[in-house]
Amino acid sequence: MPFTRRTFLRTGATTAATVAVASVVPRPLLAHLGRVPEPVPPIQDTRLKELTQRALDAAKRAGAVYADVRLTHLRMRIVQGDPRDIESMTVGVRALVNGYWGFATSPIWSFDEMERLSRESVHQAKTNILGRVRDVDLAPLPAVATGHWDMPVEIDPFSIHPDEISDYLKSLMTFTMARVQEVKFSAEQITAASISTIRETAFASTDGSFCTQRQYLSAGDFNFTMRNPVTYQSDSHHLELLLPAAMGWELFKRQPLRDEIEQRIAETVEFTNLPQAPVDVGRYNIAIDASSMSRVLSSTIGAATELDRALGYEANASGTSYLNDPTEMLGTYKIGNPFLNVTANRTEPKGAATVRWDDEGVAPTDYTIVNGGVLSEFSATREGAGWLKDYYNKTNTPRIPRGCAHGGRDILGGTYAPVVCTPNLAITPGNSPRNFDDCIRELGNGIAFRRMQFNMDFQQLNGLATGKAYEIKNGKRTAAIGGLGLLFRAPELWRSLSGLGGAESAQRFGMTTSKGEPPQMAFHSVTAVPAMFKDVTIVDVMRKA
Amino acid sequence: MSDGRILSREQCADIVKRVAGFSRGDGETSVSIQSAWNGELRWARNRTSLASDRRNIFVIVKRRIKQKNGDAFTNQIDDVSLEAAVRSAERVALREPRREPTDLDIDLPVFEYPVPTIWSNATFDATAETRGSLAQMLTQDAETRSMLSAGYLEMRAAAFAEAGNGSDAYQGMAARPKPATPEPLEAGMQYGALTQGQCSMTVRHPKGTGSGWAGLSSFDWNTIDGATLARRALEKCLSSLNPVRIEPGRYTVVLDPQAVGDLVDLLMPPSDGTSPFERSEAERGKGPFVLGPDPMLGIVRTKLGLKVIDDRITIEHNYTDPQLGVVPGLGRHPITWIDKGVLRTLNYDRQYSAPNLNETVGAFMRPSYRMSGGTTTIEEMIASTPRGLLVSRFSNLNVLDEGSLLATGVTRDGLWLIENGKITKAVNNMRITESPLFVLNQIEELGVPVPIFRPEKYVLPRLTPAVVPSLKARDFSFTSTIDAV
Repeated sequence: MPFTRRTFLRTGATTAATVAVASVVPRPLLAHLGRVPEPVPPIQDTRLKELTQRALDAAKRAGAVYADVRLTHLRMRIVQGDPRDIESMTVGVRALVNGYWGFATSPIWSFDEMERLSRESVHQAKTNILGRVRDVDLAPLPAVATGHWDMPVEIDPFSIHPDEISDYLKSLMTFTMARVQEVKFSAEQITAASISTIRETAFASTDGSFCTQRQYLSAGDFNFTMRNPVTYQSDSHHLELLLPAAMGWELFKRQPLRDEIEQRIAETVEFTNLPQAPVDVGRYNIAIDASSMSRVLSSTIGAATELDRALGYEANASGTSYLNDPTEMLGTYKIGNPFLNVTANRTEPKGAATVRWDDEGVAPTDYTIVNGGVLSEFSATREGAGWLKDYYNKTNTPRIPRGCAHGGRDILGGTYAPVVCTPNLAITPGNSPRNFDDCIRELGNGIAFRRMQFNMDFQQLNGLATGKAYEIKNGKRTAAIGGLGLLFRAPELWRSLSGLGGAESAQRFGMTTSKGEPPQMAFHSVTAVPAMFKDVTIVDVMRKA
Repeated sequence: MSDGRILSREQCADIVKRVAGFSRGDGETSVSIQSAWNGELRWARNRTSLASDRRNIFVIVKRRIKQKNGDAFTNQIDDVSLEAAVRSAERVALREPRREPTDLDIDLPVFEYPVPTIWSNATFDATAETRGSLAQMLTQDAETRSMLSAGYLEMRAAAFAEAGNGSDAYQGMAARPKPATPEPLEAGMQYGALTQGQCSMTVRHPKGTGSGWAGLSSFDWNTIDGATLARRALEKCLSSLNPVRIEPGRYTVVLDPQAVGDLVDLLMPPSDGTSPFERSEAERGKGPFVLGPDPMLGIVRTKLGLKVIDDRITIEHNYTDPQLGVVPGLGRHPITWIDKGVLRTLNYDRQYSAPNLNETVGAFMRPSYRMSGGTTTIEEMIASTPRGLLVSRFSNLNVLDEGSLLATGVTRDGLWLIENGKITKAVNNMRITESPLFVLNQIEELGVPVPIFRPEKYVLPRLTPAVVPSLKARDFSFTSTIDAV
């Protein structure tokens, strides 16, 4: 799902999406912590600990063997011309009784409401016991989560006046317009928006955790379309430097946005001036850029190694996984060729999935998903780690929850129960210092793709990808080909990987995913390098059977 | 509905009254309130994996002062938060550059349409216990047959209230006349409430060799027969086991109503995105309903008034349709998009209609629709097919070409080969490359339109139902075999 202002709002109130005019934040919201309502205190306020403790006590009294509570205070500012501010408070209580989970949420932070939510979530859980056994074996916490964490950002986006943001976006648009006209193209539909969020959460569980954190997420939605006045061909761009990242205003201010705009313009000029080659289907060697690589990594390996998908917990929603027998496949299944190594984390600075503690109070640890081409770990929640008990016992590996639980990251953030989310992913770069152009030179003859979009099936197994395609002859881009697609099965594609870009060519891309019922949104980053694949199937995507 | 799960009319009126009291100076104040409750149950591997009760409230306060607009959003409804919201909306309004009055600032005509029944006590009164025992019942047979069932039950309700003329009128949506004599803001408040129920499940073989799905959504829980859905999902799973691979190519297809709905979603999207029916887009040369440029007039002509699909098909929305309901806030007059194959309406808002059509009302895209059909049953369609494929549903559809709505995606949860009028074997899923417009031009037979599974997925207080027939079409394009089950 592309990250736009619309997708951000779609998961929230329709009201937010249908009102086109501006706003600044309605502060303060009120919490009911004492006898009279008061402005929401900082998330570290000790009374919030009492508030969460009240929920946990009530859940235990009602019969929960485990319970957790999450207070979320979210501030979001969207600037597209005028600013629009959204602020919400939510709380969710989750309870485990006899292997069944219950969950209850509301917008009210008060002691009475904590009691009600706890009773409700225990009640929800209990109504499902009905004499049938369900085992939940929560993996032990590496350490009890305590303390407070402020995500480090360079510039707090809320410290920048909305007018300054607006002016900055306008200047980018003016710059784009001028540069596009310089190359004698017409500029159409330039749009710019910035989205900044601060998410403060307090998490407490009956395992003794109490931790608070303040996280930032910023993103920009900057688009422009160029039209060649001679061929009338058009080409649209969406700035990739502005994809979601755990950053502040520096996402805009301290990144070479103008360089990316110039690169994109040059790319379009080159692409539309190249001769058009017809689609000649068949098997080719190809080179793809880091952007395409990040998407194929995320949509095949990233999604397929979410344990809930693999075991059928998402069968009725986002789908299952081709890695459908985790216990047998872990440590043995060849997911790709031997120089494919993929790591996962929720700790890297600026990573869109980065947290200090996940939504189950687990401090994330880095792990390896693919090691030397072999599947080595699934992403799981604490409960999920228990599903792989057999594997852990067989291999004598300690069960370490990696911190992949995630309770929905949108304006209703606190009202979703945690599910497995894709962590930040990174592919280990190749040894030689190649970039995309070097890949094309090395390729000699074949096809190169930029910025591919992937259409996968519901098991992340079979895919069709389209993108900006170039014919490559003697290591040069010699023609543009419209409607070209890569048709593949994920394992074969990863086994046909023939070369990876070097560390200098690595780029990070923020992504949005949606899963679960009801659907909830999450963000992660993928760090990827350009790559080459040998002997893959190229088809004409526009051709019917 | 006064048990606190959603706000009552009185509670909304109280919020509106308090907001009106906080407004200072002249100008108009308007308030939108939404409150939502969801009772949910998710199961997987034949056991409930989560049961939940979720609630939230949204309030948007709008101030319009001398043609300048401001608004603020909050989910808290105490005095201080509401007052802060009003102050904030005023700050924005005063900050905004003044607009010159336009045609859009004229008073709106009166529209009086009845609010159809979109409320069901059966949906609202279903308790956690109801969902718990229902889920157990729905997974029973799958478990007995050693299959794995995963599914989702949801009952939800939402209340919505609108007071004042504010930005809704500005956007040309709900239209209310200005009262002759000033009246309290809450006196003109419109209040509504709706319910939605949904039940869907996927039954899979533990080895992943077969998969079946069934689902239905409706505002009225009484019309959702979970037992039938569970039986259908299990049957589809069992009959889809061990599929064989057949060659991709063009096949005559018999599409379940759900498969038809999945395809038509590309034409009639349920979400807030741009729809192919946007008139302004078509006049900019975009989308499937562009006829071509008219060099004499220097405009782009659309296909309005021209036949675009099979003349047996009408696609419309009527507020009196008991299976559709309305979207709060949108104008409620009936719209026919395609009338017996002819394109009748392209959507526009008041910003478009006032200057271009000299009309004061927009024709907004509705997220729900009814598609006409015929009387042929799926069994009869199969019986009259020498060779073809029966499709349960599609998944992961993406448009490749906006000009023709050519899309790619895959079949999911059951694909069967029909030979000499009979289903002979389960076949592997396939990737398709097809456009709903092409399919709707190659219809052979049509079934009786039925409600399908098309719930509003997010917490919005609106409904997105569709009533769609099964159909048989020729030359449906399957472009590659996939081995995902």
